[in-house]
Amino acid sequence: MSRSSEAAAMKRKRPDSSTQGLVDAELVVLNVVKSKKNLGIWVADVKKEANIAPALVDKCLTSLVKKNLIKKVPTIQNKAKKHYMAVEYEPSEELTGGAWYSEGKLDKEFITVLRETCLKVIGMMKVATVEGIHDFLKKRKVVECCTSQQVGEILNSMVLDDAIIEVKSTGLGEYHSIPIGSVCYRIAVGDTSGPKTIGPMASIPCGACPRISVCTPDGIISPKTCVYYTKWLNIEF
Amino acid sequence: MVSPHGIKLAVYLISSYFGDLNAKVCDCLLRRGTQTLYQVVSSTELSRTNVKNCLLVLIHHNCVQAFALRQPGGFGDEPKVITQYMALFDNIIHKLRFPKFIEIVSEELGKECEEIFEGLLQHGRLSLTEIIERYKETSKQGDSSADAARDSFNSLVNARFVERCPAPDPLLEPPAAEETAAKKRGAKSAKIQAQTMEQQALAAAAPMESMRFLVEDILNDSVERTDKRTTDVKCGMKRKHDDVESNTKDPGTGGKEVLWRANFEEFIRRLRHKACVANVKVRVNNDAAIVLAATLELSRHSETKLRMDNSVPQSINAIYDEVIKREGGLGMDLERIRASLDDLGCEAPLMEIDETYSVDLKNIIEQARIEEVESIVLKRYGREAYRMFRLLSKADRLVETDKISDTTFVEKKDAVKILFKLWKDDYLEMKKVIARAAKQSEFILWKINKQSLWEHILDEMYHAALNLRLRITHEKEQEKEILQMPKEKLVGELGNKYMRLRKVCIVLESSLMNLDDSLMLFHDF
Repeated sequence: MSRSSEAAAMKRKRPDSSTQGLVDAELVVLNVVKSKKNLGIWVADVKKEANIAPALVDKCLTSLVKKNLIKKVPTIQNKAKKHYMAVEYEPSEELTGGAWYSEGKLDKEFITVLRETCLKVIGMMKVATVEGIHDFLKKRKVVECCTSQQVGEILNSMVLDDAIIEVKSTGLGEYHSIPIGSVCYRIAVGDTSGPKTIGPMASIPCGACPRISVCTPDGIISPKTCVYYTKWLNIEF
Repeated sequence: MVSPHGIKLAVYLISSYFGDLNAKVCDCLLRRGTQTLYQVVSSTELSRTNVKNCLLVLIHHNCVQAFALRQPGGFGDEPKVITQYMALFDNIIHKLRFPKFIEIVSEELGKECEEIFEGLLQHGRLSLTEIIERYKETSKQGDSSADAARDSFNSLVNARFVERCPAPDPLLEPPAAEETAAKKRGAKSAKIQAQTMEQQALAAAAPMESMRFLVEDILNDSVERTDKRTTDVKCGMKRKHDDVESNTKDPGTGGKEVLWRANFEEFIRRLRHKACVANVKVRVNNDAAIVLAATLELSRHSETKLRMDNSVPQSINAIYDEVIKREGGLGMDLERIRASLDDLGCEAPLMEIDETYSVDLKNIIEQARIEEVESIVLKRYGREAYRMFRLLSKADRLVETDKISDTTFVEKKDAVKILFKLWKDDYLEMKKVIARAAKQSEFILWKINKQSLWEHILDEMYHAALNLRLRITHEKEQEKEILQMPKEKLVGELGNKYMRLRKVCIVLESSLMNLDDSLMLFHDF
């Protein structure tokens, strides 16, 4: 084997070694990334803070990833931004968007399942507090890995959907097991979620019309020629 | 300030009832505010006689109120009295609701009263003699019908469905000091002053409360007149008495008779109560609705103005007596009534001696408005927007974008899109906050401004109501030939077309009536 190939072998060998074997530049970059702990750092910020030529930073980052010292993490803020973090940390909530996000996306399936389960539980218990519902879920092992704070958030969104209503316990009747004044939830009157009555405005085409601001009696969009009206009046019979 | 589409709707209504000339005059008065005859003539470019006739028609139908303004003359000149005309926007829009008013009368007082009342609505203003004459003609029962008509009329007045007409030309004398000061302060303050001037005029024109629902026996009129005069002067309202006098001497009506008209205020009050009860029935429960209806029935006659924030306090016993008279109320005891009052948000008084309750009507109306707007948001912008809108309306303060998307479980990017859409359509207010800490970051905060949102929604509703009216006219115009054909010929294809038109008109008209409920909710209640 020639000398040059020997050198090449050495070069190739070097990346396999641990931190001690890192080139200076890589060490600097690694320290920058590590210093950010579970927040991670954006590539552009690494370049700024490390004070090394940008091209070299890119090289270092790829090699560090290969060595399994840092990892690339997704962020919900901006999916196009490359974020790096030391392997020993788990991404913080700011990056993942909290428990409701998986891989940078809103975990809609999980949310729907949890909502439906909560609704069923409240339906069974008639009146329930956040803790009550959480305990129920834990005991039956319906949904795993879910904190009572998460249940609270789910319930809150269901109140906004008008599927359930928030009430204060009076300590009487159905509320006998719940301390007076504590917040509890019950199923809203009526079967469906959403508003109980569709307002008169919302039940005519104009109520849902995105173009109402440009509609005039004799304009291009006018009630005489309105397609929504025609559709509405033809569907009726 | 009347919304732009409100004016369009009012003008359209006037033009469909009284023709284009009247509509033009009305449009001019609504857009430019109170004006003199000369000003109307010059801005409408109609002839003086035409404008005069239009104003007479509009005054007769309670759409315009005239009043005289005494203005100080120039150097050494006599003060001038100038007659001003103002359009009564609310009364014009009330034309849309006449079927509802008639229904209320018919439900409460029966067919005969309904006929008389309908005549009154058609003619705007009538004297008692005219009312009786009209009734005689339609009933064809000879003289006995005159008594029946008078009885019906009396019950209409007693129920406050009918009132004396306001004075045709009340005189206003603005204080001289304010007049000159206003000129200096410029256009803005002058506008505020003009508004109060119009309110002053309406107040001056209105018959005094004791006269408003007073029916004089016309047979003994001449005999009693002298007595009446003395009693009225005793009340210390001499000027008011003169107003009524000038009203009765109006040469246009021929004779000395008092003119009567429908009392819109009473109808709107009843519809307001009805709307409150309907809302409570859906939102709270049936019991609460019964208790509320009873409380409102009791307090109706003591309400001093239309938009009462709270119902007049009633004792629990009075409420109980009224509740058990109502359908479904017989089985209720005091405990249940107290529970329902609690559901209505009434707090039980601390002292047991004087247990009275007053319901917060303003809150009920506010809730109804929010529900209406929420259902529009749901329909127009979808469920996620609905959830966000409800979050903001409950919070009633500025909320940051990320906070909104977290609480409502909407993907951050979608949340921003939806919020911007709502903001563009004037449903939300936006504020940008720039934080300059370690690194510069920008936060966007959102809020619902209820006052301006209500105005915006009301304007859209006027627009929608106008659209429904226009579509009805359009549909009828399209099938003009069918409508003019005799009924026997309407078979086969034509018959189907006729049936379709009928159904379309029913759908459109009933939608308009429902929409009108919402118009009242946002404008009159």
